Amino acid sequence: MHEAGIAEYLITVAAQHLQRVPHGPVRSLHVRIGEMAGVNPDSLDFAFECLTKGTELEGARLAVERVPLQIDCGACGRRTVVEDYVFRCSACGSEQSSIATGRELQFVAIDTDDPPEEIARASH
Amino acid sequence: MHLIDVQTGLLANNDAVAAENRAMLAQRGIYAVNVMSAPGAGKTSLLEKVLPLLAAKYRVAVIEGDIVGSADAERLQKLQLPVEQINTGGACHLDARMVHHAVHEVVHGPADVLVIENVGNLVCPAEFDLGEDDALMLLSVTEGHDKPKKYPLMFRRAGLLVVNKVDLLAMTDFSVEEAVQAARDVHPGLEVVRTSCRTGEGIADVAAWVEGRIAAKRGLGAPPARG
Repeated sequence: MHEAGIAEYLITVAAQHLQRVPHGPVRSLHVRIGEMAGVNPDSLDFAFECLTKGTELEGARLAVERVPLQIDCGACGRRTVVEDYVFRCSACGSEQSSIATGRELQFVAIDTDDPPEEIARASH
Repeated sequence: MHLIDVQTGLLANNDAVAAENRAMLAQRGIYAVNVMSAPGAGKTSLLEKVLPLLAAKYRVAVIEGDIVGSADAERLQKLQLPVEQINTGGACHLDARMVHHAVHEVVHGPADVLVIENVGNLVCPAEFDLGEDDALMLLSVTEGHDKPKKYPLMFRRAGLLVVNKVDLLAMTDFSVEEAVQAARDVHPGLEVVRTSCRTGEGIADVAAWVEGRIAAKRGLGAPPARG
């Protein structure tokens, strides 16, 4: 349910960035979501679509990059993928580990068309 | 094509306010615990039993989060403790901004311990840092022992797992051993207390855990020895 609030913040941050630079229509927003971020990409996509109707972001795509859940082992030092949320080093079996990747919830970049020439020229 | 670099965390707004809350509490040496569970797991009942034990030694303040209404706050007000009610108005969790004003009130009042009862939900509250020191979560035996596998983030965040309603164990197929194993798969070493708010089992252990955490925070917060 909290995806709507996150989509709202995503749109606010996007507007702030878009305001600063001349740009053409927005193609996509790049978002990185870890497997254990607690955010459902489909819900986020749905909220984004609803909240952008009638705005300059309408029709823009949410490009989601999923990041696997990985831990760094405190015993053998290896980085391994966590399967089924069992936090045990799959190389040596140790339970001493820290999360290396998979908790990301990051707005990476906005991909737009080039600005129409007259706008680009005016801003130089 | 034109790429605009953003590089912003999508919980950055919440995390910034949570950091403010945490700093305000740290400045006054107040320990804060965020109590979370599914609806009906027994958060308010547990607090009704545990808070009097804590209040005998510390000045306790409570923030009560609910979607609507003040039924839980009224129950806890009977303990003669200051209770701030927050209604999220539909939102399924507390966030750092919602509690910010109440935290402000708490740090300007007499308090050593702040207990925040979150909205009943195993999903969203796990994602929102409020500025607390610890997360305490309840799992009641009527919910089923497979919950850690279904809601890993909550169990990963918990500092203490309270397995509540153990007086009902005989009437369920709940296996405490399987629940604890599943929780410790997600969170190795997670501390667990079994409680019943009806028989009083484990209540003192929960209070003792919180006291231990308060002592640990005070130890960390003590000024460094001169020399």
